[in-house]
Parts: sequence; structure tokens; C-alpha cells
Amino acid sequence: MQARIIEFTNLLRKSGVRVSVSEAIDAFEAIDVLALDERELFKDALRAAMVKRGDEIETYDQLFDLFWSGFYDNLREGFGDMGAALAESGIDLDELLRQIAEQLGQMEGSVDLSELAKALLTQDLSSLEGMIRAAAEAAGIERIENMLQVGFFSRRTTEQLGVEGAMDQLQALMEQLEEGGMPREQIEAMRELLQRLLETMRRAVRNYTERELQTRNHDYMEKFRREMLTEKSFYHLTEDEIRRMREVVVRLAQRIKNVLSIRRKRMKRGKLDLHTTLRRNMGRGGIPFEVVFKQRKKERPKLVILCDVSSSVANVSRFMLQFMYGLQEAFTKIRCFVFVAEIGEVTPVFKEREVTTAIEKALDGGDVINVYTRSNFGFAFHEFWRNHLSSVDKKTTVLILGDARNNYNDPRAWCLRDIQSKAKNVVWLNPESPSAWGFGDSVMDRYVPYCDIVEECRNLRQLSRIVDQIVL
Amino acid sequence: MFQSVSDVTVQLEKEGYVASHRISTVVYLAQQLGKPVLVEGPAGVGKTELAKVVSSSLGHELIRLQCYEGLDEAKALYEWEYSKQLLYTQILKDRFAETMAGASSLKEAADRVAAEDSVFFSDRFLVPRPLMRAITSPEPSLLLIDEIDKSDPEFEAFLLEILSDFQVTVPEIGTFKAKHRPMVFLTSNDAREMSDALKRRCLHLWIDYPSEALEIQILDHKVPEIDKRLAEEIVRVMNRIRQLDLKKSPSISETLDWARALLALNADKLEDALVEDTLSVILKYEGDVRKAQGELSKLLEKKAGEEKAKGPIEAPASAATKKGILH
Repeated sequence: MQARIIEFTNLLRKSGVRVSVSEAIDAFEAIDVLALDERELFKDALRAAMVKRGDEIETYDQLFDLFWSGFYDNLREGFGDMGAALAESGIDLDELLRQIAEQLGQMEGSVDLSELAKALLTQDLSSLEGMIRAAAEAAGIERIENMLQVGFFSRRTTEQLGVEGAMDQLQALMEQLEEGGMPREQIEAMRELLQRLLETMRRAVRNYTERELQTRNHDYMEKFRREMLTEKSFYHLTEDEIRRMREVVVRLAQRIKNVLSIRRKRMKRGKLDLHTTLRRNMGRGGIPFEVVFKQRKKERPKLVILCDVSSSVANVSRFMLQFMYGLQEAFTKIRCFVFVAEIGEVTPVFKEREVTTAIEKALDGGDVINVYTRSNFGFAFHEFWRNHLSSVDKKTTVLILGDARNNYNDPRAWCLRDIQSKAKNVVWLNPESPSAWGFGDSVMDRYVPYCDIVEECRNLRQLSRIVDQIVL
Repeated sequence: MFQSVSDVTVQLEKEGYVASHRISTVVYLAQQLGKPVLVEGPAGVGKTELAKVVSSSLGHELIRLQCYEGLDEAKALYEWEYSKQLLYTQILKDRFAETMAGASSLKEAADRVAAEDSVFFSDRFLVPRPLMRAITSPEPSLLLIDEIDKSDPEFEAFLLEILSDFQVTVPEIGTFKAKHRPMVFLTSNDAREMSDALKRRCLHLWIDYPSEALEIQILDHKVPEIDKRLAEEIVRVMNRIRQLDLKKSPSISETLDWARALLALNADKLEDALVEDTLSVILKYEGDVRKAQGELSKLLEKKAGEEKAKGPIEAPASAATKKGILH
């Protein structure tokens, strides 16, 4: 059992759930004090000891089912199917097994049956499960790496399990029973049963091998990870995921805000506050037992966001805006511009509407720009430089979102240079990976020298890390 | 002491708390392993309540520490009562003079004062705060550290020490060690991610909004006067509201408030106008109320339509039973 739990712990770790050694020990202890007759109990106990973050629960639930129970259920299903198939050809499985058991009881000891054969005759699924596990282990299942090996390992497991031997024994038993004068139709039924048993066992073993491949295989785990929301690329999101992602973003923003308020407090121990100190120590005759310091305020930054709203980066823009407006209190002022080729300010949209609808509106051009053109970063920056450069000062962080795919237009990087020289910071977030920067119509390499922070931003995890950098 | 997981469920139910299987499991484990429990989940799902009922069903004293920004050791652990010390010094001035009367040198006088140190640094002048009280309590107690996410990270680090050893050292007096290891519940609204170190030391319990069946059960338990049909209706509407994209989703405590409000208004059915008037009980933001109103009137309309369709079929049936009684 312990080995199984350790294995499960490793699996959790591989899929991104952090489980420490002490937590695994807690899990052992928890299992010691509980009577483990109930699956749900076991699941809850392990979860309480090992899974501590709300967003990891989903992963845990899925892995638990995959690892702990799925196979037993599958085994049961397989044998259930077998029963149904037998019933179709007019054989009552339970009745047949009962009769065989009866005959066996009479023959007492004269037949030699292996554990497996006995388990098969009594349909003892839980010991069958144990046997298959043990056999697979003996067959070296931990070395399985890809789909092509499933056949090989299934065969080896079947050998280890001694399926053939058990079948021979059962065959012999059948012959004995026949000699012992068992009715012909029952013998026929038993023959069919044996055939089905063999089939079902083979299938079960194969199923087990496939499962092992899934849980052990790294590629599979990678896929599993990618499907987790925070790791998911913004490029391929369904409607539903966008909605869920929005909730996550709101929560993340909330969290950052809290950290922010704490850190800001830390900043501000200033000079001795004589007034408050005297007042607070009045009760002790003015003797300053408790000393109070003045608090210094940290300047909040201004933020100017330039958002590429062409369809290729719309999702990144969406979540970034959501984030920034979730953090409104962290800035003295947020001004938001959108561009494809023309650039226009959409700040008023955010004043009039609730954030979510405002974002959708802004991404749609906000009635100020035409979104149905081809991206032209150079033109947009030039327009910004001409009309809005005065809004950038030494306290301003300029945040640019875009893939810098300029459709072979003039990049006009000098505009960005001027913006940088006036701003506190220029941050560029690009949803493309750095290896693609500067290739094709990407002019990212031309802009990079004039940015203070350039980051790839393709999923929620990256986004939240960057937001952290910007606001703190 | 709880005997088993199901015993926890039974005991808590006696105290009026309907615990899900998971909650019972974790409470039982906490007792058996002597580990603190970190309870997380949205506001109003009964996190604090859980600690309260566990303490009352075990008969342990509940010691509560409410966390807030800027909470420090002095407020959580212990504090010297300076003003009382000062007052005593004033009153005992003459006695001091006596003590020092025969002293031949300044040094001897100082030594004599030093010998009396323990008078001023003793339990008498120590104000025990919740953590200290939980440790020194002669009876077994239950320590509830509420809304730990509101406290500063330093405080969290400080808590780690207490939670692992359950002992406190006061430099002037000595070390206090817990006679009974208190059961500890920490609650958090997930406003801030707790540090891994803290999480590692705790069992974790995530309480989410309850399933419909469980919520009806809770409602039945807490507001027993309520009509069963109405309770079901309320829960269904609440679940619907929770699915909306709201600033603050209503939780169990709001469900209970609403049920009580409706009861006070003698309602036996959810009607459009009634819902509209009482929506402010469950939703605390103007925007949320507006959003929910649109959605709910649709829902109630649909339901009314269904009932109308059902109506005529039901009517003859009840007529028939009436007839049956008459004959």
C-alpha cells in the first residue's frame, strides 16, 4: 500500500501538484487511523493531507480516478459484459458457478487449482486485481514507454499471471466433471465460460497495460498539464474556456492586490510620529512605551496600455485588460488605447460600462477605430507619438500588447524610442515565442532595443508573473 | 472525542451543523493526528461555524483569534501591562524605600531592586492573548484562527513556530508548554495564497458551495419552520444565481437569511414581486441585483408556465381523493 501511495505522490508531483515528503507521511498516518473500507473516505483523506490549493483539486480528482480505481471498475465492467454475453446464449453465470462450486466441494482435494483459477471460478475481482498488478510489476511494466509496447507487456503480464496454466487446470477440471457425470449441457456451458474467461482476462490485462502507459508516460502528463487552464495557450480557447479564464483572472488580480497592499505598507516606515505617540501613551503618564512612526506613501504609477486588437492577439489583450482593470487601485490612472492601424483611446468606454462588457467593446474597436484592416504598428506608434505623447511622463508605465507582425510596413521604431525616453518603463508583451521574433513580417527585433521589459506572454501563468513585475 | 468519521457527522448534526462526508473525514483526522486544519472556501459557507460546532460538540472552550492587517505578536500572544506595572510602582513606592533603606551603596540598592524583579515580571502583569490562552488553558481547548489570509506574512511565519511546538517562551518568565494540545482550525477566504510552509503543516479542507440536496438539508436544519416546497425552490433559485457572473456570489449564510426573510413575510411561494423586493438580502451589490433580476424573472416565468401546464392534471386527481374520503 505504501509503495502505491508513494507512486501516486510521484504522479501528482509530475502533474504539477506540489506534495512534500511530510505531506506524504501525513497521508500514511491518515490511512493508518482510518478504516479503509470506503473509497470516498480514502480519497478525502489523501486529499486533505496532500492537496492544499484550490486549483489543484481538479487535477487531483482526475488523477485519483485514473490511478486508484479506474482499473477495478474496468475489471468489473469486463466481467459484467462477460456475464451478459453468457446470458445471451442462455447461460446463467451465477447458477453455473454455484453448480461448479458444488461439484468441487464433493470432489474435495482431488483437483489442483492455482490461486488464479480459484479467483476466476469465484469471480473474486479484488484478488484478481491484485494478481494482475503483481504480475505486471514482475513483467517490468515500469519500463513501458509507448503505445507499441502495449502488446509486448500485455503478453508478458499474461505469462507472469499464469493465465494459460490456469486455463489448462480448468480444462482438466471440466473433463473430470464430465467423467463425474455432469450433464452435457452444463459441460457445454462451462466450455463457453472458459473461452469467455480467457478473452476477458486478456482484455483486462491489456487494459491495465494501457492504463499504466498513460499514468507513467511523460508525454501524456505533459498533455494533461497543457490542458490545465493556467498553462493553456491563449491562441486556442473555446468560448467556455474564455469565461472560466475570466474568473481565474479576477481571482489572480485580487490576490496580487492583496500582496500589493501588504508590500506597500512595508515601504512606509518614516519619521517618529510625535502626536500619535504622545496620545497613545497618555494612559502611562506620557512615558513612551509604545512608539509610533509616520507612514510614508509610495507613489502609485500611471499606466498607458497600447493594445493590438487584431484577431491574432485579441485573447491576450482581453485578459491583460481584465487584469489591469482588476488592479485599478494599484494605479493612479489607466489610459487605454487600441490599435490595428489607426490608434484610438477607449478609456471613456471603461468609465461608462462594467469592465467585462467594456473590454469586449474595446476589442471591437470601441467605435473609434476601424478594426477591419491589416496591422500596422509603425503607423499606430506614429499617431500615438503625434497626438498623445504628452500623456506619457516619468511616472508612466507604457504597456504594449502585440505580436509585432507589421505586414511589411515601416516599423518607425524611432517613435517607440521617443516614448521610452519620456516614460518610466516600456513593457512589451508578445504572444509569440521569442524564436519567431524578427522572422517573416515580425519586426519585434526592431522594437526590442527600446523596451525595458520584453516578455513572451502566451498563457495565464506567464501573464500573472509579468503583471507581478509591472505593479510591484 | 469522536469515535469515527460517521460519529463526527452525527455529533455535528446534533449541534445543528450538516457536515458533508469530506468535512467529517477531515475533522476526524485532525483529532486523530493532532494536526491543525486549514479551512478554505468562499465567504459564508460555514468555515467559522465548523470550528464553533466542533468545539461545542467536544465540550472544549473555543478560543478565537481574529486576524487583520497589522496583527502582531503583542495582540496575538501576550503583552506586558505597562500601565498596571506603573500603577503598582507608584503605590508601592514606600515599600521600595523600606527595601532599600539599609543599603550602604548604590550598587547594593540596585541589587536589592533586582532581587524583586520577579514581582514585576510575573503572570500578574501579563495579558494573555488568544494564542497564549490556548497554550496555558488547563482544559482542552479549540483554537480558531479566523481569516488568516488577512494577516501579514510575518505573522504567518510566527504562527508556524507556535503550531509546530505549542510552546511559548516569555524571556522574563520562562517557557510555557501546552498541557493539552489544542485542536486548531485556521480559516481563509483565499484572498491571499497562504505560504507553502503553513499549508504543509496543516490538513487541508476546501469547503465549496454545497450540493442542492445538502443545502436543502441545511436549510431544513437551520430554519425548521420553513415549508419543504419553498425550501427546495429557494435552493434552486440560489444555485441559479450562483451560476451568474456576479461580483459576490451568495453563499449558505445568504440562503439562510433569505429563507428567514421570506418566512417573516409569510411567503409560501416565490413570486416575482416578492423575489424582487427581497433580492437585496442575498445580493450585496447594485450591479449584481440588476443582473440577477433579469435572469430570475425569466426563470420564474418559465416555472409559472410549467405549473400552469401541470395544474389541470393535478386538479382532478385531488378531486378524486376528496371524493374517496367522502364515501
